[in-house]
Amino acid sequence: MSWDDKLLKQAKKIIKLYPQKRSALGPLLHLAQSKDGYISDDSITVISELVGITEVQVKSVSTFYSMYKQEPTGKYLLSVCKSISCEINNSSEVINKVQEFTGLNNNETDEEELFTFEAVECIGACGGAPAVQVNYETVEGVTPENAINLCEWLKETKPDVVVADEMQENFGGIKSFDWAIQDNSGATSTAPGFQTLKTTEVKK
Amino acid sequence: MSEKVNLNVNGIEIESDPNKLLIEACEDSGIHIPRFCWHKRLDPVGMCRMCLVEVETPRGKMLVPSCTTEVSDEMVVDTESDVVKKAQEGVLEFLLINHPLDCPICDKAGECPLQDQTMAYGPGESRFVEEKRHFEKPINISEIILLDRERCILCARCTRFSDEISGDPLIEFIQRGNKTEVNTFPNEPFKSYFSGNTVQICPVGALTSTSYRFKARPWDLKSTRSTCNGCPTGCSIELNSSQNKMLRILGVDNDAVNQGWMCDKGRYNFEYLNSDSRLKTPLKMMDNKLVEIEIQDVYSELTEFIKDRQTKVNFLLGSNLTNEDYVAFREFSKTISQSESSFYLNDDLLYKGFFGDNIELAKIDDLNSSDAIVVWAEDLKEKLPVLYLRIRQAVKNGVKLIVFGHTNETLSDIADVFYGKDMVSENFEILKDLSKMKEINNLVVGKNITAILGKSTPYQADESITKLFEFLNSNANSKVLNAYSKGNTYGAFQTLENLKGLNDFVNDISKDNTDLLFIVGADPIGRSVYSNQIKSIIKSIDTVVTLDNFNHETSELSDYVVPISSTLGEKEGTFTNIEFRTSRIEKLVPSPGQTVSDWEFITSLMNFAGLKAEANSLEDLNRKAYENLDSSLSPVFDNLDKPSNLDGMINISKPKISTSENKLNKTMFFTGEKLYGDSATERHSDSISMLGSKKFIEVSESVVEKYNLTSGSCTLTQDELEVTVSYEVNNNFPNDLVYIPTNRRELNKFDFSREILIIPTQVKEALNVN
Repeated sequence: MSWDDKLLKQAKKIIKLYPQKRSALGPLLHLAQSKDGYISDDSITVISELVGITEVQVKSVSTFYSMYKQEPTGKYLLSVCKSISCEINNSSEVINKVQEFTGLNNNETDEEELFTFEAVECIGACGGAPAVQVNYETVEGVTPENAINLCEWLKETKPDVVVADEMQENFGGIKSFDWAIQDNSGATSTAPGFQTLKTTEVKK
Repeated sequence: MSEKVNLNVNGIEIESDPNKLLIEACEDSGIHIPRFCWHKRLDPVGMCRMCLVEVETPRGKMLVPSCTTEVSDEMVVDTESDVVKKAQEGVLEFLLINHPLDCPICDKAGECPLQDQTMAYGPGESRFVEEKRHFEKPINISEIILLDRERCILCARCTRFSDEISGDPLIEFIQRGNKTEVNTFPNEPFKSYFSGNTVQICPVGALTSTSYRFKARPWDLKSTRSTCNGCPTGCSIELNSSQNKMLRILGVDNDAVNQGWMCDKGRYNFEYLNSDSRLKTPLKMMDNKLVEIEIQDVYSELTEFIKDRQTKVNFLLGSNLTNEDYVAFREFSKTISQSESSFYLNDDLLYKGFFGDNIELAKIDDLNSSDAIVVWAEDLKEKLPVLYLRIRQAVKNGVKLIVFGHTNETLSDIADVFYGKDMVSENFEILKDLSKMKEINNLVVGKNITAILGKSTPYQADESITKLFEFLNSNANSKVLNAYSKGNTYGAFQTLENLKGLNDFVNDISKDNTDLLFIVGADPIGRSVYSNQIKSIIKSIDTVVTLDNFNHETSELSDYVVPISSTLGEKEGTFTNIEFRTSRIEKLVPSPGQTVSDWEFITSLMNFAGLKAEANSLEDLNRKAYENLDSSLSPVFDNLDKPSNLDGMINISKPKISTSENKLNKTMFFTGEKLYGDSATERHSDSISMLGSKKFIEVSESVVEKYNLTSGSCTLTQDELEVTVSYEVNNNFPNDLVYIPTNRRELNKFDFSREILIIPTQVKEALNVN
């Protein structure tokens, strides 16, 4: 088993939340993603043993969903929306600028393993188009210029916790609506920030 | 009975059971709806959309997939409307977008549902001019199965089969959308005992077997329906040959028995028929060497032994004979010898079984209608693989399963209650009082149960199973399926009286009571746990005649070796399965050289010796086999050939088995057999020989510690014998227990009643250096 005790303990806690072991498959894959930045074959073996299904069945699920990465990602996963609302609001220029800055094609990771870039379908922030996600933390109303500023900021400060509200304030523009009360918690890895998975933390 | 529903399909009123799927109801009424993903024996998924039909709904006519729509009363369906036709054309055009259309080099061409349905329902031309998707052409997903992902239309039949039916989902869809492919996990091949079924149900040429690949075209094949004689399940099969060579075996959907499925051993073991090593001429031992002689000489030399009817003759028969062969030997023994002859079955597990007058014997179908199934036998997945599938099916339908013994671990996964090492001792005895075991009492007492009972190893005392049987018989409404595991054992039961097993053979047979010994289709030296004892018995007997397909360890010690035709496709006859269902064994290919059928050899010998045989033809023998049964119901050829009896006829009989209990000293070793071994026929089947050659043992965890096993292999030694094996830890074993599969050669040569040393490999190397 390539998972350490801490991670295994966490996994077992997650499994207990579900009536059937295999129902925990999705969260466990996120957990694997937060550990390695992708779903490794080793992790698949561990998960298959934990939930009692075969490795290829785990692989089948992990390759079906695009949020489970099959190759290592950089520290920051930059997802720029290319769906209709964002496209109308000039997301293609945002995409161009981000690609120019990072020098990355779609689904590529740079050599320093800092950035992974992807152009994605709708991320549910049409009201604030164009929208960008960094490690699934959403920033809305991002202009091409601010997109570059955002990348520069990430490159320089390299924050361990990426917080949506903080980025919205510094690099965002128009918002769909107020999502919730302001909070200072954000994602710690290229897996979405879930409290149960401990992939979210409050930024100090 | 629930009421029928009436529906209107294409203007025709049809009747159906409620809860049936539309596609099935139409099929039953003779209206064919094209389909790829739907399969009668698999759960519907609605993947391919080929079965779209128009159904009238309150919101007007709608296209619905008929494989996921249940019938309802007064449903109005159109399967041939213009809209349906357009839909079918569209679906086919899409399916063909990425299909390589390499039909000229595809094995499926000629019997390909995609090809046939494109002809029948397709648009005739494609508008797709872009590049098709490409994959590496066939990849090996196991030793015997190849996958061509370009041809795959993603119907999910294979993945559903492996998940729902065989329970070893080692193939799955990987990726999504346009990139979707079927594949295995890296370094985790599709190692399934049932993988051949996926090749058979694949609606395109994506899955192929190494065995049949590039061998023939479907339109060149000759075929006949027959019965598999590999184990007592007796699966209905279709034999395919081309140019007088057997090339393929397919499962036939016999609802009561195998429902279309087969195990891979049954499917691919036929390859030995075409082996160059087959015996083709009779052999005679001269100056310690077997030399070729003419069959006429065998007849005339053996005539000398039998014509005065004073010779003491005994028979050791294998389990791959037809019922007619058994009868031929029975009639032969009556005629040639004034003293009583005995028949011994080549089975070291033969015991009396449960056939008493007060016992109701079960049919395979009873599994589905029981409240619970209780199993204590050899590992059914290894020994009766398709029966194992039927148990899985019953469990899926909600029947409870109670499994006893560490030898049945393959069923433990799906068992409601598994009485493993805590309840069953290393001596194969139930440790606790059955009436005090809560789980079994809850599931069994007062219920309808089917008990599958058999000895799990020769080292198990009869008494321990009897105990379980008596508990079930007195506390539940129980039916018994006696699980003997070798070929046509039940045919031998039906045709021969007072059968004995190998343990009796070892105890009874000596030079004093046997002048002439016939060994037919059996290699007890190469296979059984009595190897050494039988070797010395055979050496001591004056004249030993062996009839078999190949030379093997037993035939090499015989005075005469007669080549015989195989029961698989080379001769006609009947076979009786585990539920006493008798069905046809058919001939499709000629047998090579001077081979003869067992019954032909025996009747010819009698005629040669001038002894009047009562049965001179196959038909005579067939009639003689069932002469005690009511003629209108007996499975004679005339009755079996009636269309209504193609699936076989059940005639439950209560055999008299006069074997005595074998007294084997129990040591830490116990033996059994795996599905794949390396017997003569298996060695000469290319596909199977790869799967059954590894020598290994299974050990309990305590053995690993005790003998300090670390390297993955060890050496077993006893006297001069030394065999290096790999070992696998089996957590279901009680402490200090070692399992040895005796159908891997050399491993049966040990005397298991004495100590066998286990030396870890690294230690052994050190010893050799000194």
